[in-house]
Amino acid sequence: MTTIQNPREKKGEHTLGVLYDEGKVRRRREWRGVKDTFYDYTRWLYLVSVLAKFIVKPRNVKGMFRYRWMANYLAVMHGMDKFTIGLRDEPLRITHTAMNFVIADVTQAIDNCFRGDRRLGNDKAFSDRCVLTDENAMTAFMMGFPNVKAILREVPTMFAANIFNQFSTMHYLDVAQQNGLPGDVCPMPEAEAGISIGDDFCVLGCCAVQVNTTCDGSLMGNGVIAKRLERQYGIPTFQLVAPMRHREEDVQDYAAEDMKKAIAFVEEHTGQKWDWTHYFECAKQVNDATRKRLAQLEINSTPYPQFFGSVFSLYNDTNYMGNCGRDRKFIKIDAKLMKLAEKGYQHKRMAAKEYRHRCIIWGVQPQYCIDMLYWMLQCWGVMPLTDMLSMVNTRMIAEEDTPENREQAYYDMAWLNENMIMRNRTHGGYKVLVDELWEFCEMMHADMVMMWEHMSCKALTGMHGQFEEQARERGIHLVWVSHDLCDPRVYTRQAIRDQFNTYMRTVMLEEPIDPSIEILPDDNAW
Amino acid sequence: MTKPLKILLMLLLTVFSLFAVTFTIYFFNLDMKLTSKIEPIFLKHYDKIKRDLYL
Repeated sequence: MTTIQNPREKKGEHTLGVLYDEGKVRRRREWRGVKDTFYDYTRWLYLVSVLAKFIVKPRNVKGMFRYRWMANYLAVMHGMDKFTIGLRDEPLRITHTAMNFVIADVTQAIDNCFRGDRRLGNDKAFSDRCVLTDENAMTAFMMGFPNVKAILREVPTMFAANIFNQFSTMHYLDVAQQNGLPGDVCPMPEAEAGISIGDDFCVLGCCAVQVNTTCDGSLMGNGVIAKRLERQYGIPTFQLVAPMRHREEDVQDYAAEDMKKAIAFVEEHTGQKWDWTHYFECAKQVNDATRKRLAQLEINSTPYPQFFGSVFSLYNDTNYMGNCGRDRKFIKIDAKLMKLAEKGYQHKRMAAKEYRHRCIIWGVQPQYCIDMLYWMLQCWGVMPLTDMLSMVNTRMIAEEDTPENREQAYYDMAWLNENMIMRNRTHGGYKVLVDELWEFCEMMHADMVMMWEHMSCKALTGMHGQFEEQARERGIHLVWVSHDLCDPRVYTRQAIRDQFNTYMRTVMLEEPIDPSIEILPDDNAW
Repeated sequence: MTKPLKILLMLLLTVFSLFAVTFTIYFFNLDMKLTSKIEPIFLKHYDKIKRDLYL
């Protein structure tokens, strides 16, 4: 592709390597010019206020001393800095708006967990209105329960903790393996199993719903967790079983039927009735979020992408899976993000000195715990247009309350669940994983694909050769980057970056835009 | 100096001092430098808690 130069001179820091040393945290924060540094400072103040409001509650202080994973939240600001490296103008504001909202949402989730937790708040009335919901589930089956809380306790305990601290799961992986679980599965569900075995999950809720996810590790982890929930804590657990071949017509009746059973299960244990009016309100919001996400992708298909990187994916995760139309706060944030992106596009704002390549990020991705996508952009001028986890549902679901649509709603909820982040690509056959990648490359005008190769994930292994062969046929640069998700002992951050560096130097014969960050001493950093 | 002017001056001085302190903490990453020193203390504490292991 033709290199696009940023016509605006970048204010502030040009060589980002000066910010890094061998320590856990950065030497100092980035100088972005007066206006953008001041903006970044005000967002820092906002996050300080969010965290302060959380920790002033005695119950939450108690939680801080009880749960090991809480220590990872000492690194919240560091995590935020990872995602804003080198950003200015609208891309900086978009990243802050989305990520600050995600952080506030996670803080609320922890507060809810502690409130109902039998060891801490022990608010029984609140706990009886809570349903423990699998982190890897679309919360679609909760869209008709306005008075019931879906508690995704794995999110603050494992997933979000790992965004801020790359070492967050190591202790739990050791616990799982010391208790005889195999170490060759995905470290994400294995860490969750370790948290359950090691007595470090909050215990609350009147029932739980687990969803078969994408892999052997997840099935193993859910088994371990469900056993403890049911046998020790007396929390009944429903298994919502989404079909893997989710594009096939003949599995949809079964999936819709299973959704009906999950709803009946929640009704039985919470004593609440399914509310169709509320469901269709949530459905409207899901459709609105889909439209906004498609509009963001359309902007990213132009020469001036605005909302990109790990935060694009994280925000979609939160909005689609965790929220699924149930929280009205997302409407305002969606609209604000859209407005900022449109403004940035109109003014042709760029997030780096130059864009040399337009890249789609595919495969099972570890980009939350490292700043890889922002680093690729600042170091090599490779713009991460979108990623596999953001390419979820594009279909509009029924949003008018009619007798026909009430029946259709079960199919829509099942469809959302089947097309949950990750499952919709890693399962469902060749078309969703390989064929559609090339369609997205065409749609987004991408000349490069960065393929994350998660060495413990078996889902994509069989497709390796086909990706290579077909990328070659289409003239798309395919960069394989191996990693072991949230276990940094297997692949360090620099070992991950080195694979990209080697490709850019030996295949593309390019020199970095900012050589000071080609090698970073951040392997010991949070 | 009149009393309202004095109050205004005091207020401005307080706001400026608060800004100077918080901006210094922000820019030199002193918040994260402090929490990175606290983390090992917490980890030692967590190691001492008796856990009910269950598989």
